[in-house]
Amino acid sequence: MIEIRDLGYRSLRIGHLVIPDGTTALIGTNGSGKTTLLRLLAGLAPPDTGSITVDGTRAVPGCAGFVDEYPDRNALFSRLADELAAPLRFRRTPCEELDQRVREAAVTAGLDDLLERTMDTLSGGEKVMAALLSALISSPETLFLDEFDSHLDYDSLVLAEDLISSSGARTVVRCTQNMDLAAQYGRVIVLHQGRVFRAGSPEEVFSALEETCCYPFSRRAFR
Amino acid sequence: MKLSLSAVEWHAGSWKFRADATFTPGVHLVSGRVGSGKTTLALLSARLLQPDAGAVAYEDITSRTLSFQYPEYHITGSTLYEEAESYGVDPFAACARAGLSGRDEEDPFRLSRGELKWFQLTCLFMNRWDLLILDEPFSALDCRGKLAVCRSIEENRGGIVLVSTHEQYILPKTDCLWEMMSGELTLRGTLPDAISTWESAPAPIRRLREQGVIPANLTRDDILEAACRMHE
Repeated sequence: MIEIRDLGYRSLRIGHLVIPDGTTALIGTNGSGKTTLLRLLAGLAPPDTGSITVDGTRAVPGCAGFVDEYPDRNALFSRLADELAAPLRFRRTPCEELDQRVREAAVTAGLDDLLERTMDTLSGGEKVMAALLSALISSPETLFLDEFDSHLDYDSLVLAEDLISSSGARTVVRCTQNMDLAAQYGRVIVLHQGRVFRAGSPEEVFSALEETCCYPFSRRAFR
Repeated sequence: MKLSLSAVEWHAGSWKFRADATFTPGVHLVSGRVGSGKTTLALLSARLLQPDAGAVAYEDITSRTLSFQYPEYHITGSTLYEEAESYGVDPFAACARAGLSGRDEEDPFRLSRGELKWFQLTCLFMNRWDLLILDEPFSALDCRGKLAVCRSIEENRGGIVLVSTHEQYILPKTDCLWEMMSGELTLRGTLPDAISTWESAPAPIRRLREQGVIPANLTRDDILEAACRMHE
């Protein structure tokens, strides 16, 4: 469980917010503060005021899987195989096990033919799939995913969802502009101008947004 | 006005791109799996990439531009004012249209990715283009931004518009549908006939097709109308 108390960071202000274990979608208009909040939750930036705790402990970087919305900002290494291996290398995983896990991970995402390619030659979608695999490969308990789905076609998105749901991550917090995807999550938080506008189950949140374009399109079309 | 890719080939290692296509005025939607070659098509069409074989030819195209998949690749100015000026548009008008009034002295990199994307697209849409190539224009935008992109594409009618996208729910009214399949560009045809053979179709269209319903086009209104028919 993630708990926010009296958070202040730039224009972001959140008094008290609990993000329970499970899946949470963070939605809102462009510039509403989603990425900023996600980075704070992941411990990638310290709040100016207030606190964020994960299971009662202050959030620290490196403990959670994180996928940045900028595909190029995820890569540390030039070769895809090295990029996928990095989280395991940092944990001193034995080489034989590491090679096997990298190969297995690449196969699950259909990237095994690209392992020797350099990251700059991958497409945007391939880069974010690589970033997702890299975030999942060390089996983190918490995953923070920032709008990576906007770079994926439908079939790749279905594959990515399978990878996330089978990852064993206890908590998944994800920013998305895909409201149909958000509606499948356990909880939805709406940010507006740096404040929590609504938070609750998808039914509670989206029933209040029915008159807006934020309402999940499939619900509107196929109700 | 015409863009022709005649027997075009481009290689990256063992991966090969192939296209033999002609684009005339109208909205051309290009879809395809991740890594299928959509961005390569955009770069070749904009002549930012030279083909290894074949030719890319323009006929009566006097103005052209490409919107990159990543908005950060466009930035040349240290403020939004300078950035808008680099497109030859009025900076204050561009900021206002992008919902960023009063922020003209802000560093573009201080914007959220969605704000930056919309600002960059706004600057592009403030000019008219004979050839407008949009690589993933909907990526990072909220639903209002996506709808605004569709409106702007509609306003640019008269020229050739190439839109490559993974967007599932908010698409522009489209004249011609193309698919990139493992590096090869395939013409699916004009709407609505092309929908029945569209392999990488978005989720709502797949759902309609499963029920034997084909929408007239790809806009939200078209999908909603088709969904009503499904319920009849």
